Amino acid sequence: MNRRRDFLKTSALGAGAMALAPSFNQLLAASAGTGVPKRFIFIRKSSGIRPAEIALPDFSDKDKALDEKKQALEVDLDKHELPKWLRGLDAHKEHMTILQGLSAKMSENVHYSFSSVMGCFKSNRNTLSAIKRATIDFELAKLFPSPFGHVELSFAGGRSGIVSGYSAPSPQTRNYCYADPDTARSELFKSVLNPEAVNSDNDMLSFLQGREGLKASGIKGHEKRRQEMQIESIHAIRERNKKLIELSGSLARHLPELAPVHANGGANASTPEKQAAMTDVLIAALKAGLTNVVTYTIDDLGTPVTGLPGNETDRVGIHPLGHDEAFGGVPAWKTREQIRISHVNQIKTIVEKLKQAPEGNGTMFDNTMIMYFPENGETHHGIGLESPFLIMAGNNCNLDISGRYVRLPILGTEGHKTLGNFYTTLLNAHGNPMEHYGDLDLEMARKKLDQTGAIKQFMA
Amino acid sequence: MTRARLIAAVFTAILSTGITELAAAPDEKTTPAHAFRISEETDALLDNYCYTCHDEETQKGDIRLDNLGGLESSKRLDLLNRMQEQLYFQHMPPPKKKRQPSEEERKAILTFVATELGLHGASTLEGKLQKPEFGNYLDHEKLFSGEYKDLPGFTDDRRWLISEYIFNAKFQRMLENNPKAKRNGKNVSVLGSSKIQNLSLTNPFLLPNVSGVRYYANEDLTGGHLSSMLTNAQKTAEHITGYLVKRNKEYLPAINEIMALEDEHHATLASRRQFLKTFIARLSDELYGNKNESLLPIFIPVELKAVKALAEGEKYKKAPFHVAQNMLKGLEGDSTVYQSLLDPQHEKKSDEEFRKLCELTWFYFGDHERKIQGRMTILRDYMPELREQLVKDNGRKIKPIVYKALDDSEMDVVRKSITKHRKKGDHYGEIIEKCIAEWEQGFEQERIAAGPPSDQLLSDLVNQLSVQILERSADTTEAAEYLALSKSYVTKLGKLKAIQKLIQTFILSSEFSYRQEFGTGEADEDGRRMLSSRDASYAIAYALTDQSPDEELVKAVESGKLKTREDYKREVLRILKKRDAIYLIDPILADKNYRDNTTDTAIRKLRFVREFFGYPAALTIFKDEKRFGGDRLGNATSRLLNETDRLVEHILENDQDVLEELLTTEKFFVYHDGDNERMQAASDRIKSIYARFKDLDWKNFKQEDLLDHSEFLREVKMRSVDPDKLEARNRQGNTIQLFKKSMETITARLDKGQQEAAPFDLYRGYGNDFMPGYNISKFFNFRMNNWDYQTIQPAKVAHRKGLLTHPAWLIAHAQNTETDPVHRGKWIREKLLAGTIPNIPITVDAVIPEDHNRTLRDRLASATEASYCWKCHESMNPLGYVFESYDDFGRFRVEESLEYPDKLITKSSDKGTLLTDTRDVYKTLPVNSTGYLKGTGNDSLDGELKDALDLAERLGKSRRVRQSIIRHAFRYFMGRNEFLSDSKTLIEAEQAYAANGGSFDAVILSLLTSDSFIYRKAIAN
Repeated sequence: MNRRRDFLKTSALGAGAMALAPSFNQLLAASAGTGVPKRFIFIRKSSGIRPAEIALPDFSDKDKALDEKKQALEVDLDKHELPKWLRGLDAHKEHMTILQGLSAKMSENVHYSFSSVMGCFKSNRNTLSAIKRATIDFELAKLFPSPFGHVELSFAGGRSGIVSGYSAPSPQTRNYCYADPDTARSELFKSVLNPEAVNSDNDMLSFLQGREGLKASGIKGHEKRRQEMQIESIHAIRERNKKLIELSGSLARHLPELAPVHANGGANASTPEKQAAMTDVLIAALKAGLTNVVTYTIDDLGTPVTGLPGNETDRVGIHPLGHDEAFGGVPAWKTREQIRISHVNQIKTIVEKLKQAPEGNGTMFDNTMIMYFPENGETHHGIGLESPFLIMAGNNCNLDISGRYVRLPILGTEGHKTLGNFYTTLLNAHGNPMEHYGDLDLEMARKKLDQTGAIKQFMA
Repeated sequence: MTRARLIAAVFTAILSTGITELAAAPDEKTTPAHAFRISEETDALLDNYCYTCHDEETQKGDIRLDNLGGLESSKRLDLLNRMQEQLYFQHMPPPKKKRQPSEEERKAILTFVATELGLHGASTLEGKLQKPEFGNYLDHEKLFSGEYKDLPGFTDDRRWLISEYIFNAKFQRMLENNPKAKRNGKNVSVLGSSKIQNLSLTNPFLLPNVSGVRYYANEDLTGGHLSSMLTNAQKTAEHITGYLVKRNKEYLPAINEIMALEDEHHATLASRRQFLKTFIARLSDELYGNKNESLLPIFIPVELKAVKALAEGEKYKKAPFHVAQNMLKGLEGDSTVYQSLLDPQHEKKSDEEFRKLCELTWFYFGDHERKIQGRMTILRDYMPELREQLVKDNGRKIKPIVYKALDDSEMDVVRKSITKHRKKGDHYGEIIEKCIAEWEQGFEQERIAAGPPSDQLLSDLVNQLSVQILERSADTTEAAEYLALSKSYVTKLGKLKAIQKLIQTFILSSEFSYRQEFGTGEADEDGRRMLSSRDASYAIAYALTDQSPDEELVKAVESGKLKTREDYKREVLRILKKRDAIYLIDPILADKNYRDNTTDTAIRKLRFVREFFGYPAALTIFKDEKRFGGDRLGNATSRLLNETDRLVEHILENDQDVLEELLTTEKFFVYHDGDNERMQAASDRIKSIYARFKDLDWKNFKQEDLLDHSEFLREVKMRSVDPDKLEARNRQGNTIQLFKKSMETITARLDKGQQEAAPFDLYRGYGNDFMPGYNISKFFNFRMNNWDYQTIQPAKVAHRKGLLTHPAWLIAHAQNTETDPVHRGKWIREKLLAGTIPNIPITVDAVIPEDHNRTLRDRLASATEASYCWKCHESMNPLGYVFESYDDFGRFRVEESLEYPDKLITKSSDKGTLLTDTRDVYKTLPVNSTGYLKGTGNDSLDGELKDALDLAERLGKSRRVRQSIIRHAFRYFMGRNEFLSDSKTLIEAEQAYAANGGSFDAVILSLLTSDSFIYRKAIAN
């Protein structure tokens, strides 16, 4: 039996929770000084990141050989140039990690990974029954509660509105996501923009509560307690709605402005415009304290891409580009690079804007980790042999990783680490002592090589 | 007194006043004023057995027990709860301690603790004991001895949270969805699907992923459920109003009636908009003649990014046409392009002129600059392909749009509006929006004038929703309440949102999420009442099918024929016998589009066996194809699970000695679809091909040699070998190559004296296999190139006896790369021998040590046969060891591979053919599959075990095993653990089984007509 206070703890983060989130503790307690949360932004891209693309162009011969042979390597970034597409982050190298050598074969790869890259399981082509566990973003969100718990933004499939996402709050449960900047803004700041919509549930909840109250009389024992819990649940949601409205004043100052082109799904916005607008909403949601964990599917193979520099008037397809099929006379690799540059521009904006927001003795960025990674491994038809990560982490990061290019030993060799190890590291470093997150890699298991636990060299 | 009796006695004492009120914290309002006291005797006992480790000085585990009186009430009660559990489950004093309380002493301490907790209504043990994992703590002998058979059986009044299956069934029914699946090659309607077209719901009632009974009535609706249901309700409401009622006028007709005017206006606007979108240019020409062009905005062409020359050495591959075609469609430019190309007046235009024409069309319409740019870029780069596409299509899919005016009155309205609103320089799109705005305003005024829906209409809606969602009409009071609510919704939200909100309200009522099981009518002398007929019909229907009551059950309720035990019996028997409903068995297989995943028997019967044995988990264990020895492991595992279901269904259908058969059958389905005739025909076909060519030099055939066998080949239809299309080829080869590939596998199936040929595809190609999952043979130790296939199945398979030796069960109870004797043994102890195993002590790191020179059994033994560990492992390991004659894929073995790099003998290729085994070869050690059985209560069955077959044989003969399964069946159908008052029910269920030749249907019937099922009793305060 759950008591009233347990209701808040046990509430699963269902989609309804986005507007009716179970825990106000973080936001409401902030003024009481319960501590600064850690923030995590997962940016997933499609069509792979080729390890050679993210390698440093000016490796020494020795380091280049190690890197090409996929052997362990670690160098300081401040002594090296970044690849062209990463140079937008030159000013923030001290916060950057390029992490190579993680494998993700337990995830689903090739064209799409759906939920699997963030849950370390095979997703059986996006079936619900295959979702084995809460994805890593939701696990982290539990450690740093917030009104919205977790927010998922997605440009997958070129959709708009509120649609099915890829993150999972629990097994066999799919999250919902915001598929365009206008929808994200309207939903996250609903209590500011449309308080009536928040209130409209109250009549219904009040009616339901009243009916349950009538039923409660004459019942005894555990059934009475069950009835009371139901009433409490409804009451708690009404109270949360009320609190959301009360907070609208302080939320309003974080409300992001969006250009008119983004209205009604923003069908005519260019890709850089859409990305920038979504990034603005993401930053606003973080600054308003609405969430501490965001997953941002910045594209998938079905995302229509327009307005890229070099292909300004072309509509390009990420899938054909992955097959080296190109548009507008621009070789495919150049367009792919431009797509990545556009992604990096968003990362740069997030870093810079959070660095401008004071928090504690420093800035919001100090307590933030941004992870940019491929959903499907090392190429367009990746098999998960490698899953390169670009990480931007602030000064208070609980991991000891920043400012370095790190290559871990390749799959099937001693010391190799998988995506599961990396996620375990994130969890252990932030208060969840889970022994190992995710499915194990079968080749490592077959070779009896140790593959569970956190990556010790990253634990601060 | 034995330990078991002590526990039962204490348990009975605790429950002697009925189920006590469970609370995790004391209720201050009802707590009597009570001073805490420990008697001298109790204190002496605690001093003797507890204070040494738990006094002020020592406080082991941070627990101090010598100052209970000094604690604040809630802290004391917390501590007492922990004491109660530790004592009850005999975790304390620690088993390794020599000084242990006698049974009487333990009972005395427990009584003290229980009494104190009972005074505050604060005990948590009862709650715990109601959980599935604690069911076995009730004394088995007591339950079946007959000593308690006169206790009146009943279940407490309760509401029972719906399961994930009932959730699916409710929504399917509510939305009148009719999902289909394949059964015996045909598309049939199925019950039990989770998929609803165009609607994605979150199922918050998922059952735990455990082996055993999963669905109990002690779960409560939490905030998490409610949050998910809020979103489900919202989406469902939108789906109903936006889609279902528009498709089907008979569905919730009140909605269409209320929205009639809105719908009419909407349809009119849509029709006008569609007409204008397609024909405004033409209409404008008609209206304005030559003046039209001068009224249009001044044309501003879009700029396209110039195509730069490639740098030297740079390569460029243009994206293929189908990509551009899809892009054009995504940009909504395809219609204009194709229609213009089809228009004869533009036939002679050059590419340049044609592009200009399209751009003008789009510009004048007012399409966004970016969209036009995208389209124009495609036209720039793909004009020849677009023209070619039209020629290829030849009028099949791309047809000219023929002008069709609206009716006269509509055309008048449209013309009037255009002339009223059009200004010089307006794009066509702007004109359309101005017209639409005017019409929308007019329609809105019409609706306001029409007023809100009548009370009668709203009452109709309330009643229809009540019937559709809650499956009953609203009573008078409810109807009035909902009517008042509806009217307030309409006032605040408008009609459409009000209807949606009302739908949500019904879905969110607790009646939707809970099954109601309260007794009604006259109580008997024991205070028991029967369920109402309606509730009884749901109890029976959900017990057997997860579905709402069928027509006959509903009729029985309506005609007053569901009131007696005989009535229940009649209905239960009927449902058990009926075969006219098809159920989906496994949602995971459905997600994999696996065919033949259906049954026509009451699904809950089959599901009991699935959940009890836990073999469906085989599908979720992540296994390595390399270690499996072939690819397409997923297909093989899917078939494995499906054929296990088929075997179970076969046994249940025969309904003779069911429990014994499940444990000891030697006949299995292996790569068989259940139809002996079809399998025989498939084998005959392969045999005929073999007979035809075996003595010919087919390996050296040329393509033209096949022509000599044209008639035969046309008849047998070898895959990709068509004598009339000899030049055909696919990715895997040309006709003669594929013929030889096929002959290779056919020969392998029949050249070693095999009588029949396994009917897998002749060669492995792309596309749908005839029967996927042929690799299932590997689980059963059949070599694909030496498989003596059995066309008549189920058939005997060597080294197998019962479900416990079935690869599905073995995989489900193994690790990813190793077996798991401990968990296999634990399963048998708990599920079949009604035993209990405590949780792993918190101080234990349960890891089997690595040693490249020892078998897993040896390594496990060294870690667990130390005296401290053996106290628990003794109950598990000897039972689990016998299964070491099967590896973690369920393959029979006499040698265990030492799968370490330093033990590798031969590394096989990672890629194989249909016939090869890709496993690496390692050094081995002989398997030791001896064990020991203890706990059947039968000296002729207990004793040393040779192997798993020996164990299966003995378990099949054990009465205790039979009783244990019946206990689990009780829990499954009742949704709770058994009490001593259920003794009669259990005894009678066992008798029914025995008296009917081992019929499981008889067990179900007995349970569902027992006092435990029929009667409810109000909960005492």
